Amino acid sequence: MAQVEKKAGLLRKSSASKKPLKEKVVLMYEEIFVREDPAKNNPRFWEELFLMKVNLEYLEGKLESLDGDELMKVKDNINSLFQHCIQALGEEHQIKVVNALQTLCALFRGVHQKNKSTSGFDIINMLMGFDKAELRMKDLMESLDTLLCGDGSESLKSLCLKLLLCLVTVTDNISQNTILEYVMINSIFEAILQILSSSSSRRQHGYDTVVLLALLSVNPYIVKLSIVDDETTLNGKGLVISQALSEYNRQYKDKEEENQGGFFSTLTTMVGSMFIADAEEKISVQTNEAILLALYEAVHLNRNFITVLAQSHPEIDLVTTPSAPVPTTPTAPLGTAPPSVDVMSSTELPLDPNLQTSNLLITFLKYSSIVMQDTKDEHRLNSAKLCLIILTCIAEDQYANAFLHDDNMNFRVNLHRMPMRHRKKGADKNIPSRPLVCAVLDLMVEFIVTHMMKEFPMDLYIRCVQVVHKLICYQKKCRVRLHYTWRELWSALINLVKFLMSNETVLLTKYNIFHLALLVINLFNMFITYGDTFLPTPSSYDELYYEIVRMHQVFDNLYCMVLRLSTNAGQWKEAASKVTLALVNIRAIINHFNPKIESYAAVNHISQLSEEQVLEVVRSNYDTLTLKLQDGLDQYERYSEQPKEAAFFKELVRSISLNVRKNVSLNTLSQDVLLKEFSSIS
Amino acid sequence: MDGFSHLSCGSLQLLQTPCFPFADAAVAMGDSDAEPAPGEASQPQGSPPLDVISEGVGELGLVIDPEVAKRACQEVLEKVRQIHGGVSEEEEPELVNGVTDNTAPPPEISEEEVALAGPRNTVKSARRRQKNNSAKQSWLLRLFESKLFDISMAISYLYNSKEPGVQAYIGNRLFSFRHDEVDSYLPQLLNMYIHMDEDVGDAIKPYVVYRCRQSINFSLQCAWLLGAFSSDMHISTQRHSRGTKLRKVILSDELKPAQRRRELLPPVGPGAEHSLSPSKRTHQRSKSDATASTSLSSNLKRTASNPKVENQDESSVSQELTSSTDRLDNIGSSPVRLAPQREFIQSLMGIGKRLATLPTKEQKTQRLVSELSLLNHKLPARVWLPTAGFDHHVVRVPHTQAVVLNSKDKVREGEGGSFQLITIHPQVHFNRRLIYVEVLECGDCGITHEQRASSFTSVRCEAWSVETRELQLPEIHTNSCDNISQFSVDSITSQESKEPVFIAAGDIRRRLSEQLAHTPNTFKRDPEDPSAVALKEPWQEKVGRIREGSPYGHIPNWRLLSVIVKCGDDLRQELLAFQVLKQLLSIWEQERVPLWIKPYKILVISSDSGMIEPVVNAVSIHQVKKQSQLSLLDYFLQEHGNYTTEAFLTAQRNFVQSCAGYCLVCYLLQVKDRHNGNILLDSEGHIIHIDFGFILSSSPRNLGFETSAFKLTSEFVDVMGVLDGDVSDCSHLPCFHGSSTVRNLKERFHMNLPEEQLQVLVEQMVDGSMRSITTKLYDGFQYLTNGIM
Repeated sequence: MAQVEKKAGLLRKSSASKKPLKEKVVLMYEEIFVREDPAKNNPRFWEELFLMKVNLEYLEGKLESLDGDELMKVKDNINSLFQHCIQALGEEHQIKVVNALQTLCALFRGVHQKNKSTSGFDIINMLMGFDKAELRMKDLMESLDTLLCGDGSESLKSLCLKLLLCLVTVTDNISQNTILEYVMINSIFEAILQILSSSSSRRQHGYDTVVLLALLSVNPYIVKLSIVDDETTLNGKGLVISQALSEYNRQYKDKEEENQGGFFSTLTTMVGSMFIADAEEKISVQTNEAILLALYEAVHLNRNFITVLAQSHPEIDLVTTPSAPVPTTPTAPLGTAPPSVDVMSSTELPLDPNLQTSNLLITFLKYSSIVMQDTKDEHRLNSAKLCLIILTCIAEDQYANAFLHDDNMNFRVNLHRMPMRHRKKGADKNIPSRPLVCAVLDLMVEFIVTHMMKEFPMDLYIRCVQVVHKLICYQKKCRVRLHYTWRELWSALINLVKFLMSNETVLLTKYNIFHLALLVINLFNMFITYGDTFLPTPSSYDELYYEIVRMHQVFDNLYCMVLRLSTNAGQWKEAASKVTLALVNIRAIINHFNPKIESYAAVNHISQLSEEQVLEVVRSNYDTLTLKLQDGLDQYERYSEQPKEAAFFKELVRSISLNVRKNVSLNTLSQDVLLKEFSSIS
Repeated sequence: MDGFSHLSCGSLQLLQTPCFPFADAAVAMGDSDAEPAPGEASQPQGSPPLDVISEGVGELGLVIDPEVAKRACQEVLEKVRQIHGGVSEEEEPELVNGVTDNTAPPPEISEEEVALAGPRNTVKSARRRQKNNSAKQSWLLRLFESKLFDISMAISYLYNSKEPGVQAYIGNRLFSFRHDEVDSYLPQLLNMYIHMDEDVGDAIKPYVVYRCRQSINFSLQCAWLLGAFSSDMHISTQRHSRGTKLRKVILSDELKPAQRRRELLPPVGPGAEHSLSPSKRTHQRSKSDATASTSLSSNLKRTASNPKVENQDESSVSQELTSSTDRLDNIGSSPVRLAPQREFIQSLMGIGKRLATLPTKEQKTQRLVSELSLLNHKLPARVWLPTAGFDHHVVRVPHTQAVVLNSKDKVREGEGGSFQLITIHPQVHFNRRLIYVEVLECGDCGITHEQRASSFTSVRCEAWSVETRELQLPEIHTNSCDNISQFSVDSITSQESKEPVFIAAGDIRRRLSEQLAHTPNTFKRDPEDPSAVALKEPWQEKVGRIREGSPYGHIPNWRLLSVIVKCGDDLRQELLAFQVLKQLLSIWEQERVPLWIKPYKILVISSDSGMIEPVVNAVSIHQVKKQSQLSLLDYFLQEHGNYTTEAFLTAQRNFVQSCAGYCLVCYLLQVKDRHNGNILLDSEGHIIHIDFGFILSSSPRNLGFETSAFKLTSEFVDVMGVLDGDVSDCSHLPCFHGSSTVRNLKERFHMNLPEEQLQVLVEQMVDGSMRSITTKLYDGFQYLTNGIM
């Protein structure tokens, strides 16, 4: 239905240019673009204009086609159009309000596209006139505030949000957006938040609201955003994010099943595995960075939001009825489209026994597991990075850690695992119900194991290892003995070191691999020297030694390399020598136990010792081993956005803003539906 | 004692056992009246009521001047006469006669008594003669006027008396009893109101209405009980409507205090405080609370994330205070009295009902946690847990701590060679959940009601701002030397020493195994039985842990309460059992019998739902055995130390005392369904029986299988630590001490044995139960059971 509507709009656009006959509204627009006051001949000109259906293409196109000087000549008329738009917002007649909102959209956008090419062109003067600007924007914001908070039509509210999105995204770089300053002065923050707190309005406008908030928070709104402590609002926000993410997860799963159910199942597994890589790319669903950004901001800025992460919402939305008019959703190519409406408004049966109670964190972990599996294209790389940053923030937060490690909150989290040749898919169907931190650790292990590739995502690896480190620091500090199969983590980390060694030459040209190596070795040092505070069983400590001794070759190689580089006077001298120092305990363990194991084998005439035998040797030889206590193993630098991540977020916001702008224009056009709704009423 | 009999009478009525002869109940009544005679002076037991009355008064001669009493009685009589449109003199004797007739023991009993209490015989017959005396009505009145006349007597006379005058008099007397005394008989009182005739109802109603006006808590309890007791009756619609009508009146909130509440009210039981405060917050936080009240300026300061948060917070708190009081004034004109609490309870029950549809325990637990987290959004609110013994407001539910308890039908028991039965209830899906609730005690915090009314908002915002997100190191419950070694490592790391510090790998490994060894008494997590871990954790530790994690934990009057919310099960019998247990306990205390039982509070909300006060620090024996894989004795050794240690001996003594106590309870009440899932073991070694769903004549439908008098398995005996020969001694000893008690109750069971015989019987029963030879005593026992059936 929406599709048809949109097509009709597009068709009209193409045919309109051919037709000699012009719409009345276009004729009226033309009157505006002459110097004379259009109201001079027709005193009811403005009144009539807003009764007319807006032709956005024409209006925007016309504004675009005029250059700065030409536009300056009709400045008075444009000012007056702007002023009348704002007046019309207060009208009883909703058609007028709708038209005024759309006209405003077109005005902002049309004028800004001019702005791009012509520098020094003053939009504010163009639209409102310098002297009136403040007053006009104040009026505009107040009208929007009233519309958003009022009991009026939901479609109107939706349009208001679109207008705001329009306003926020007119420039590529939000910091260059001069109009936004007026938005800041005349805060409509509370009005926006209010949308999130009521479930019916959240269902319809939640997505736009969250995106708007995400974009707005690169500026003074941050402060306001960080102090929101109203739980209903925060929950509402969490719900919108969670729905968007789970919709992505669902779409991905559907596609995956589609692919698997098709010809793959008929092919032999061998042939099939050859195509898996292709299939994966086909499956890829566009990531939704705007929502991720919103989640990041919520987690990073607002400490009250942390509780929302663990909040499961089985039936928070049950009360409301599905609404009548729903904003149309174009199939968004760039991933900024809101998730399809049926999901947003689906009255999920909370009593479905098969439906696991979920929460935002679980949904996010699942989402991350999908996003992080493929980091080839830039969008996904950015998304994966953002996911890891969010996880970093979570891993640093005491409260978040408390519920991550809460023994009483056990969940089964089905993370997506990349199909790989050497491991069977679906073997992990019956995951035990465990504290959530296990899922986070699983996700990290999964990432470590699956991304040792030529295009080495060094930055992501570092973040990943840091997340693990932060979690372990919490466990050490709070004496949490997590029943986790640490062995998987150890072997993943050792394999990572192994990979670094074997690709040393290639990697060293691009990265400081010693930073990552140091992080990994220090993780081991945490286990070795503080294992007594957080390991679940004495035997897990034995296993740690077993694993180190078993893979001693890797550590030996690493030691050789760092020793070589730290004695040379090369650029890596300092970095490498740090790793050398950090390796002291691991080397002590290897040097202590290896001879013992060899002699045990020799005495008992066994060529290949079993694991149990090695463990026995380990257990009986602890007492003669001395370890060195290293400083600051359980300390870490807290995450801060400035200055390290500033560039990343600037670019991210820029790309999101671009996407939103593109999509908003489509959305706005398809408001024909809405126009019809109103015309039938009146 | 007396209470017990009343209760049993009430219970019978409550159970609506149709075949119970009225006279028997009356006998019980009569017995009961004998009890409250002052002092330890061994009273003649089980004699007809009037004897004892006269005797009691006689003894009290010093206290009460007979003349004065007589005059007072006459006055009262006069009053009664006036009230009831002149009850004629001729009717007066009938009043007493009526009582006498009712209470007249069946012939064989009186014969027994003659046989039993030889010396008393003459007194008795003398008194029999007295009955026909013209002054006999004054005895009753003298009783009523005397100090001995207590609530239990009042209830029993209210129940037995057919005389409107007496009923009305007692109805008036209710006002003079202490509130908590009456409260403990509230179920009986309301039951009479519902099920008995007009006059009794009329007598009770003024009192109930008076109390409802005073206390929200009382109003709600009345409403719940009325609902529960009315639910299953079809006697007559007219009467039915009486109970429900009163319930409606209460719930419609018509019984508001007529005047300023504060002036009107004496301090009463828990919850009464709540009714005092001039304004109510509904359970649902109002919109204005959530959004508008937080003035932005104060909020801004709060998140400035500097260490001086608290100072700044004060200003915001004060702002909150003013803003909230303003707001409250606005709505103050029509405060909702009962709504918040009802909503709170209803939402708790609603959660239970929804959980019932979920198949697995894991899903239930997850669901429970998430539902409770939603409930948290509406807290703090002016709601409280009615099972608690002090005034408080609920501020938060630590939702992650809640657990789903074992449904009865899930507990499968077969080991131990015990004779108990697995009970499976096909029709009801039991649904019990243990929920912890954080509350702020408001009994002694000395702030005015106005302040308290507004304190929620302030507490709330304070709570979130004070929270520093810096967790304290949890206390480590290991031995001290271990702490020192731990400490040394930590302190060394913090030093910026250039000197390298060395540690032995062996030490690390050793510390790890030691620390793990030091916490053997924690249970392993079992997804099928999530409650085991939660229940095993010592209560104090749990409180500390939750307090630490709570945003309200820093407030001095912060308390943690726990409650079991039960849906789909009738708790009215549990309530009765609670009353009986309490009575027994007080009798034992009075008699200095070292028996230990733990009555746990019951709140009946409807005929199929309610709340139970959980026994803290206790896990079921089923869980103990399943988790520890040890015999009970070995578990005791593990928990409390070796045979000779003080700890073990104390625990053993506790075990014996509690065992004996519950054996008596089980015998007297004929408690059935005694499988190990229904018996708890607390951290001090006491056993606690729970679930009195099958008492007296009811038993699990399967069979009359549990024929032994009480549960005493060889495993229990092992813990008691005596050889077979001594067992009876061990168990017998407390029984013997309490023999008078026992005997009394036995008489109710028509057991007419002299003391020696009783002793033999007790020994027999102990023996029989222990060896679980069900046949030996079965015949005799059947008779006994029939006696009460």
